[in-house]
This record gives sequence, structure tokens and C-alpha cells, in this order.
Amino acid sequence: MKSKQKVTPRTRNEFIWGWLFIIPTMLGLIVLNIIPIFSTIYESFFKTGDFGMGNKFVGVANYTKLLADADVWQALINTFKYAIVEVPFSIAIALVLAVFLNRKMFFRGGYRTIFFLPMVAAPAAVAMVWRWLYNSQFGLINNVFHTKISWVSDPKIAIFSIAVIGIWSILGYNMVLFISGLQEIPKDYYEAASIDGATGIKQFFNITVPLLSPTIFFVLVTRVIGALQVFDLIFMVMDSANQALPKTQSLVYLFYKYAFMQNNKGYGSAIVVFLLVIIMIITAIQNWGEKKWVYYN
Amino acid sequence: MKKLMALLLSVVMVLSLAACGGGDKGGSGSGEKKGDGKLTVNIWDNGQQKGLQEICDLYTKETGVKVDVQVITWDQYWTLLSAGAQGGEMPDVFWMHSNEVQKYMENGILLDLTDKIAKSEKVDLSKYPAELVEMYKSEGKNYAVPKDIDTIALWYNKKIFDECGIKYPDDTWTWDTYYDVAKEITEKGKGKFFGTDMASTNNQDGYYNMIYSMGGYVINDDKTKSGYDDPNTVKAMEYLGKLIKDCMPEANIISETGTDALFTSGKVAMITQGSWMVAAFRDNEYSAENADIAVLPKDAATGKRTTIYNGLGWAASAKTDMPEEAWGLIEWLGSEDMQKKQAELGVTMSAWEGTSDAWVKSVENFNLQAHLDMMNPDVAEMIIRPYSRSTIAWEDYARGDGFRPAWADPAKMADQCKAVAEQMNAALAEEKQ
Repeated sequence: MKSKQKVTPRTRNEFIWGWLFIIPTMLGLIVLNIIPIFSTIYESFFKTGDFGMGNKFVGVANYTKLLADADVWQALINTFKYAIVEVPFSIAIALVLAVFLNRKMFFRGGYRTIFFLPMVAAPAAVAMVWRWLYNSQFGLINNVFHTKISWVSDPKIAIFSIAVIGIWSILGYNMVLFISGLQEIPKDYYEAASIDGATGIKQFFNITVPLLSPTIFFVLVTRVIGALQVFDLIFMVMDSANQALPKTQSLVYLFYKYAFMQNNKGYGSAIVVFLLVIIMIITAIQNWGEKKWVYYN
Repeated sequence: MKKLMALLLSVVMVLSLAACGGGDKGGSGSGEKKGDGKLTVNIWDNGQQKGLQEICDLYTKETGVKVDVQVITWDQYWTLLSAGAQGGEMPDVFWMHSNEVQKYMENGILLDLTDKIAKSEKVDLSKYPAELVEMYKSEGKNYAVPKDIDTIALWYNKKIFDECGIKYPDDTWTWDTYYDVAKEITEKGKGKFFGTDMASTNNQDGYYNMIYSMGGYVINDDKTKSGYDDPNTVKAMEYLGKLIKDCMPEANIISETGTDALFTSGKVAMITQGSWMVAAFRDNEYSAENADIAVLPKDAATGKRTTIYNGLGWAASAKTDMPEEAWGLIEWLGSEDMQKKQAELGVTMSAWEGTSDAWVKSVENFNLQAHLDMMNPDVAEMIIRPYSRSTIAWEDYARGDGFRPAWADPAKMADQCKAVAEQMNAALAEEKQ
């Protein structure tokens, strides 16, 4: 009798309340994320009919088509190009800004707000403004610097121009995360380092970066995933007559093009499943690398 | 302990299922709650919102049924509508377009209006262009009432013509005149302004008109074959290639800025554009002052002057909670009086026979008669905008990957025509399966 532990009213109470609290989140996740994931995977094996009716099972035909589709591979390269520019720059710049804005200074709240503002603006509006900044004829950038660069229609540089918009939009968000991480670092370390004669730059690399590494890791993982899913900026900035489009369209853009513009939901689903696999592999690699450079004290 | 866990998990499962089921019927997110006696109307053209709301308010005055006209941009319109058709929330009354209507009719998404139209005293389908009525019919049933009709005409910038000392375009023009003048203006503009512009996305308002005028076609009559490899179509597209090479700004400028914006900012002298743009050109200060309209040029060899025409239709959702009110509104919008009203307010040309004369007077700045002349059989031939069941699939290809390379290098035009024809034939073959 004694071997089976009795459930006290308290544990049971905690158990019930615990579940009650997470049920709303779980429901949201199941309805909005988990069910769609499986229905997307399911749909990728079909040639879909209008309005989800009359689907025809085609096996892996969508996937064999995908692997032979040069557009998909080009889109994968474009997506990687975007991520390789956006992620490191948005993290590095945000980190430096966070260090500066973590000190006591005049108008600190104001600066923080200014850097965070792009995050609050609707991505569509941001893209429209940048589209005009970049315009080769009437754009502010070309007119101020007297250049004649086709920022968003030269296939060689368009994807990087778009990555700049991405960096600008995400900077504030990364910065806020870093500031909160910085405030966790005890002041003693810096004081001790100063007494030992460490300069600001040395302090930054030897104290700030290692102690902030859990936050940096979190931002890195989420930003890589976010960057690989880039869509709205490209969709808003690039017109389908734009010569640079083949060299800028991302995988999600291709997904949107096939699933919603050309009504081929099956092939579109196969493309996002492909992207899902790629993101999973990259995230797994990052988790493996976590042990090598992230310090949890 | 385990039992309790199992119980809770099953509760979670049931709740999530209920949530899914609920989503289908009730819908969530949209502020409009069903059954509050208000009709939701969706359109995609911002320029028409004010005028249409005015007409709908008259309906409210007459019947007490409140109507809310909401604008959703073209790109999102079809995404939202098809999501709605798949089990979400749909507007009660909305626009239909030849690109999409077929599959909506075939899948029972639209309210069957056949009997209602037959009984109606206000709507008389014989007053509408037969091809438009036919377009919104499937298996003998009517699913939409024509809303408007549009034609393409030649818009030109008077200021540039004056500056170059060239006579304004008129009905004697052929496409060769168009090329010569555009080239002359481009040379005189020295990079400040250009003769004309067009993007690979300007099909209905652009190269379709040239193709049919020069004796080519885009799709054959029984919608089984692409016309892009027809010699006359290729001839028209190569003519366009000449325009791109000699008379237009660089391709990247056109795609970045847009053909209309270049025209309304005085960068190009001539564009071919549809009558649906009148409101936008009227509301733009520069074009209101400097733009005017002439009929499209004809082709010297065939002697044909051709305009592509199309017309939207008013349709209702088969799932609407207020079918009588929704039909009432469509009947109202399709009545002779309100068709006339739509023209008078300058919203668009109306589809009802003879009501468009009022439209000509709606904007004083422009010679709108040119758009109307394009509907006159003595002046021009009208061709319905090419469509099939999967229009968007092949059209999207032609607008983008298909003809985009030919804008970068016009010498590729013939090859691109062949590529588009192949893709389009494949899409058409798939339709039949």
C-alpha cells in the first residue's frame, strides 16, 4: 500500500491548473500550426483541385518536378544570399547599438524608440517607402548621391538591396533582446576588468559577448529561420515584370506564386515542405554547434 | 493519474476539433458579424469605391439594407476570396472577372441568379453585350450580372507633343505612324522623355490590342490552342520589340516605376490604356492638365483597328445569409437607372446599352468619346479579353517569365513567343483532363 504514492490534493490542484493555463496556447498551436503543417505535407502529394475539392493523388510527382526545377534551386540560392547578408549584419549592428544604448545617456529612451520603430511599421508600408527610395529614376538615394544604380532591378545587386531593408526592419527587435540580455550581466565583471586595465573593446569581446551568448544564440536561430522565410519584402518591392525577379525570388515567394497566383497548391506545398526540411537541418546544425560557443553560467 | 491525463488529452482533442468545426461555420477574425442586416461588398479598385458606395447608399435609402463597400487590392482579392470559398468568410456581393469566374461557377461558390433574373423587371440581360453575359454563364445558368465594360484607347501627353511640334494622334494613325512618332519623340526627348512605354504585365491594355489588330490571336475560339506561335502574333510582338528597343525607357525603369506612373509624371508621351484608368488620370494633377485620348491606331496591312474589351460582373456568395437582399443589391446595381448613374458619376463605363453617353460627359478634361468610339463597330472591332478555365496559369507565365526576357533583349521576342505558346498549350491541355 505504501509503495504507491498518494496524490495529495495540492499536487492534483497544481496539475489541473497547470493544464488549464496551457490549454489556450496548445489549442492555438494545434489549430494554427500543427494541423496546417500536416495538411500541407498531405497536400504536397496531390494535384489539388479548385477550392480544395477534387484532389488527385500523384505520389511524389510534385517532389520529382521540384528537384528538376531550376527555378527552385535558383530560389534556394537567392534565399541563402539574403540570409547570409541579413542575419550577421542585423545581429552585429544590433549588438553594438545595444551596448551603446545600455549606458546612461541623454535621450536614451528616445533613441531606443527610434531604432525600434521600423518593427512597429507594417512591412508592406516599409517596402513601399523603400521601393521609392531605391527607384533608379526618381529615388532619393540616386538623387542625393548622384548615382545611376538600378538598386532593385539589377539582377546582381537587387537581392542585397532587399537584404538592407530586412536589416533595417529587424534591427530594433534584435537590439531590444540584446539590451535585456545585457542587463542580466552583473556590473562587477566590468568593474573588475577596468581595475585590471581592460579597455572597452577588450571588455566587449571578453565579457559582453560570452555572457550574452545565450541571447545571441536565441536571436541567431530565430533570425536564420525568419530570413529563410523571407517573402513580404520581395513581394512588395519586386514587380513581376522586373528583370531581377528570377535572381531575387525566395522559396516562399515561389510557394506563393504557385499556390496562390497560379492555383497549384500541391506544387506550392511541396516547395514549403522542401524549405521546412532545409530549415530543420540548419537549425539542427546550430543546436549541435551551441555547445561549442554558448556559455550558460 | 494516467486516467486523468488521458481524460484531459481527450478534452483537448475534442475542443480543438470543435474549434475547427466552428471555424468553418462561424468564421472568425472579420469584424462583420453575419446576420446583422448589413451586406458586405468587396471590390478591388480604390478609384471606384466612392461612387459605388454612393449608389449602394441609394439602395439603403430605398430598402433599409445597409451596405458596406470594401476595397481589397487585386493581388489579395483572389487569395482572400478563394480562402473564403474554401470554408471561411465570404463577402455577400463581390466582383467577378473573366480570369477566375469559370471555376467559381463550376464549384457552386456563386449564387445561382437564373430564376431571379428571369423574374426581374429591372434587369434585362438582352441590354448587355452578349459575350459578357455568356462569360458569366455556366451550363445554362447565370451567375453574375455585368457591371461595366471597358475599352482600350491611346492616351497621350499634349505638353510633350506641343514641345516637339508634332500633331496630336487621330483616327488616321496606323501602328507604323505610332512607331515613327514615338521614335521621333524619344530622339527629341534626349533621355528627358520617351515616346511610349509598356511592361510585360500590360497585356489587356497593351500588346493584346496589337496582336488582334495585326491579325494574330492569343487563344483560339474553342480555347484549346495558344496563338502565340501564330505568324501574325509573332509579327505583332516583334513590332512591339521594335518599340521597346527604340521608343521606350530602359526596361528596369518601366518595371520599377510602372507604366502609368511614368505617364502621369510626364516621362512618356503615349501609352495604350484602359477606360478603367480614367478616374486615376483625372485625380492626378499632372495628367488631368496634360493628358488626352485618341482612338487606337489601326494596322496598315489588315486595316483593322481593334480593342480588347472586358467587363466585370456582380456576383453573390451561395453561402450568404441574406440571399434576397444580396440579389436585391445586384438587381439594383444592374438596373438601367443605376447603370446610368454609375456612368454619370464617372465610376466607369456601364455595360447597359446606351448608358455610356453619360460617362463621356463625366470628365471634362479628356476626350472620353475616344473610348466610346472604340465600341463603335464602324470604327473598331471589339475582342473579348482572351480567357480560358486556367487563364491565370498561362497569363501569369506570359506576364513574368515568358516575356520578361524579351524586354531585356527585344531580339529574343520570337523565341519567347514560342516558349509562351508551349507553356500555354500545356496549361490548356491540362484543363481538359
